[in-house]
This record gives sequence, structure tokens and C-alpha cells, in this order.
Amino acid sequence: MTEQLLEESVREQVREIFKDLQNPLQVLFFSSETNCDYCEDTQKLISEVASLSDRITLTEYDLDRDADLAAQYYVGKAPALVIAGEDGGVPIDYGVRFVGIPAGHEFSSLIHVLVMVSRQDSALQPETRTALQNLAHPVHLQVFVTPT
Amino acid sequence: MALESPHVQAEAIEAMEFPELVRRYNVSGVPQTTINFGAGTVVGAVPEGYLLAEIQNALTSTSAE
Repeated sequence: MTEQLLEESVREQVREIFKDLQNPLQVLFFSSETNCDYCEDTQKLISEVASLSDRITLTEYDLDRDADLAAQYYVGKAPALVIAGEDGGVPIDYGVRFVGIPAGHEFSSLIHVLVMVSRQDSALQPETRTALQNLAHPVHLQVFVTPT
Repeated sequence: MALESPHVQAEAIEAMEFPELVRRYNVSGVPQTTINFGAGTVVGAVPEGYLLAEIQNALTSTSAE
């Protein structure tokens, strides 16, 4: 048996949280064979997370070999995760990404975001939602975070 | 926010893995949010209304140029 990154207690907690998942999710993982210190660990981590719910489908791609798909999802760095919805087996892109390994604090963000996308509920205030729905121009947000 | 608008794309970036982005956007602490590749910057975890206002500012200043 290969060693798991997540301890059993964490897996159990995540399974419990994933009971709240509603709509199916597609997670697209992009790795790279060059200059990617955290690709292997991220791959292990997201595989373990995806295995904790049958609502999550994980597909794995390579930045170079799948360059067209990476461009379609605006993914230029690895490791990257696209957290998408699903309709008829096809991913629905909401523009939600993790770049770099989602470890430490970011692990709970990842779990939280998976639930949020699956439930289609941003938990934002009604007035914020209205303002966002009225946006007419592209907005790209890069939130810099660290695992600690 | 990305969930609420097809125009919004949101990335969480692990700062330690991408020092060149940290330098480019002068990231001094986390969380720090870069709006439209430098058109706006928000330092710290802020209330959603504040971030929204900064997004709207960044859009206004970009379209005015």
C-alpha cells in the first residue's frame, strides 16, 4: 500500500464535509515535467481528496503536451487546479483556480471551494452578488497565499 | 466572486512557489490580491465590499486610460 499524504482523521473530516456536495465537480490538474517541485505532491494530494467523494472527477493534464487545453483554461503555471462544475460530462469553468500546492491553510480553502462550487453558493452578500452580476469587463484576481 | 460572474476569474497562488510573480506584483504579505495584473492591489483579508470597490476602481482607472 502506498503511503497516504492525508491522515485518516483528516480523510474522515473531509468525507463528512463532502456530504454537503451537491452537483458533480470536475477538477482539472495541470502538471509539468520541468521545474515543478510540487507537482508530484499536488497530484497525490488532489487524488486523495477526489477519492473521498464520488461527486468529484479528477482529470490530469500536462502543460506542454496539453498546451491547447491549458491555454483554453488560461493555465500557464504548474501545479494548477481548475475547480469546475459539470454538465453532461463536460466541465463548466467558473474561473476558479489554485496555482501551487494547496497545503496547510490552503487545504481548507480547497475543500471549502469544492463545496462552494458544487453547491453553486458563493456565500456573498446579496448586494455584492448583484454588483458582480452587473460587471461588464473581465476581472482577474490573483490572491497570493502561503501554506502557513 | 468568480462563481457569481462569468467575467471574474480568481486564482489562489502559492507565493513561495512563484517568486517571480511575488516580485512583479510587490507582494509584501499574505493574503494580497492583485486585480487585473496590477491595475489594483488589496493587502490583507478585507471585507467583500472593500474588495468589490477596489475591483470597480481598477476597472474605472483602466478604462479611463
